[in-house]
Amino acid sequence: MNTVDEILDYAIDQEQQAADFYEDVAQRAETAGMKKILLDFSKEEKRHKKILIDVKAGEHELSPEQEVLDLKISDYLVEVEASDNITYQDALIIAMKKERAAHKLYSDMAANIPESHLKEVLEGLAKEEAKHKLFFESEYDERVLMDN
Amino acid sequence: MINLKDLLSPFFVWQRAFEKPYTSIRPTIDRPGAPAYRGFHINIAETCVGCGSCHEICQNHAIDMVAVEEYLGREGDSGLRPRFDYGRCCWCGLCVDICTAASLRMSNEYAWISDDPTVFHFTAGVDDKPWQDNENGYRRAEGYHLYPPKRIEMEMLPPEESIRSFDEVARGYDEQQAKKEADRCVECGICVATCPAHMDVPDYIHSIRDGDYEKGLQLMYRTNPFPATCGRICTRRCESVCPVGILGEPVAIRWLKRFIVDQVDASDYKRILADTITENGKKIAVIGAGPGGMSAAYYLRKKGYAVTVFETQESAGGMLRYGVPSYRLPDNDLDKDIDYIVSLGVEVKYNTAVGKDIKFEQLLENYDAVFMSTGLWVPSSMRIHGEDHARVLSGLQVLADVANGRDPGIGKKVAVIGGGNVAMDAARVSRRFDAEVTILYRRRISEMPADEEEIHESQEEGCTIVTQAIPVEVLKADSEQQVTIRWGEAEMVDDPRGGRARPVLQEDRMHTDTFDSIISAIGQGSNLDYISKEMHDKLAIEWGKFTPSEYQHTTLEKVFVGGDFANRTADAISAIEDGHHAARGIDRYLNPAAYEEK
Repeated sequence: MNTVDEILDYAIDQEQQAADFYEDVAQRAETAGMKKILLDFSKEEKRHKKILIDVKAGEHELSPEQEVLDLKISDYLVEVEASDNITYQDALIIAMKKERAAHKLYSDMAANIPESHLKEVLEGLAKEEAKHKLFFESEYDERVLMDN
Repeated sequence: MINLKDLLSPFFVWQRAFEKPYTSIRPTIDRPGAPAYRGFHINIAETCVGCGSCHEICQNHAIDMVAVEEYLGREGDSGLRPRFDYGRCCWCGLCVDICTAASLRMSNEYAWISDDPTVFHFTAGVDDKPWQDNENGYRRAEGYHLYPPKRIEMEMLPPEESIRSFDEVARGYDEQQAKKEADRCVECGICVATCPAHMDVPDYIHSIRDGDYEKGLQLMYRTNPFPATCGRICTRRCESVCPVGILGEPVAIRWLKRFIVDQVDASDYKRILADTITENGKKIAVIGAGPGGMSAAYYLRKKGYAVTVFETQESAGGMLRYGVPSYRLPDNDLDKDIDYIVSLGVEVKYNTAVGKDIKFEQLLENYDAVFMSTGLWVPSSMRIHGEDHARVLSGLQVLADVANGRDPGIGKKVAVIGGGNVAMDAARVSRRFDAEVTILYRRRISEMPADEEEIHESQEEGCTIVTQAIPVEVLKADSEQQVTIRWGEAEMVDDPRGGRARPVLQEDRMHTDTFDSIISAIGQGSNLDYISKEMHDKLAIEWGKFTPSEYQHTTLEKVFVGGDFANRTADAISAIEDGHHAARGIDRYLNPAAYEEK
């Protein structure tokens, strides 16, 4: 990927894939409660996709300056499977790991190229993914780790 | 003959007309009251909790408690404020002396002239008065109290003794101590609103003062069939709003409840409580013989329903028996509560699992209503690598083993992960098995959800609490009988979204420690496998928990729920009230004619 547009197209596609993934798990989820949660995750990914489409159209700026808090929760949790009777804890783990992987991808790419508009865009995307990861990690800390 | 002086005196008097008078036209100006004068009342309405002690103590009945809109519905506040009648007040200051919140004081203002007699009734601190911000005037003297601010100490077993057995740690009040403690109650009733079961607290405390323990027992059973239990392990929200606790220590409501029930022998319950049952021919199934289920069973039975309780374990009690250790709640006392409920003719089917031994759908078919209260029995997993090591045990399992008289097999050096009551119980139980205990909690002590008393006692009994400690990996140790945990120190960071502070792992401050076992007690979830998937959807369960509507009703007509998996407070008293409330709900559902407006 060389141009900014190519990068953004890739990122947009990734968000759509994530949205599709959650919808698929939602279809297979055994309880109405979990279905709703997973569909909410899917909506969240579609919202990210919209932001990136706006960035591509020049209607939205990615802001790389702000440091995003890293709760480091996902770093030390095991991989879980998206089974049919997935629990909320597991759904959050899958989500935060996906975001972490995306963040890592963009920040690694940004690290390997010299100063340029492209580098800025990659760093901006990395920060976006970090924000998404923070959202899921905060939910985890709030709800799953409630008594801990 | 008239004296010349007398004849001329009127003319001498007239010269006074040109002198400055000795009297004043307006005698009230410029003569302030002394700095500690007992003048007109000031109440800091924000600090006042409306306990009504001023109203009680006023010898002239000059104070009425009146409802004030902006304070109604506040936690720990009656919503009332004192209204003074200056036609009756003698400004003795007793109201200021007894004020539990130190909100009532007097200004040094004493002049108030009006030809409208109704203005002399006013609500201090609410009705605008010119002396409200007066710095002078009478205040209660520092250290002067009309009731003892400190509570009567509960004798506890010293820690070096308590860890040698499972004997009850709190020894209980004797009669003299109980009466003294009962005397501290100002009978405001604010506790009643806060108690989830709305127990008649001031009334049963009064029964201690009267020495009428039978009356006290009757009062308690109106709202709570587990007084021996709650008198020992209740979370006592009542005490957190007791106004006596504002300037001193709250009244020891829990210990007083325990005192009453300890005075009455189980064999006298039947005579004293005189529960007469008129069978109404309807049948209710209760799933779970914990505090929620048994409370529902009690109140349903009193209303004449035939009740069958299905319980998977071999004894009733639920978390009270298999979770709370006996040094906090002795088996005998739990049995006292349960035996009475069963004695009313409640049928309990032990060792019977709904979903396996009998289908949930069969209960729906064979009974007129079903109450579910199966609690939260599934320990949450940490989801870290190596968690499936054989030496990683669950806190709930350790407690259940001990309750069943089995050795939990924890070894001599134990790490407990978690900060709730189960973690504290597991830690203190481990001390009683002579283990060295380290508690690892990911946040600060102030954020631990466990009861403060439990945290304090676990430290007294020799448990080491390491705060801001995040476990990241479980590793094999050199010996198979041991396990190693890798954990890191955490820094607390403010949540950018405004939630509570979050612990962030510091990867350059990691530790590795080896233990004989790691006890994980980080949270609990429900197991609702006994309901089919279709039922799940009909019952609107979210995150494994129910959100019942009024009267504990679910979206399924015959089904009511209560207890830990259906409320946010997750304590025994809430489960007990949920059971009682469901009984009311079931009666309304099955017997609506009785509730129709005539």
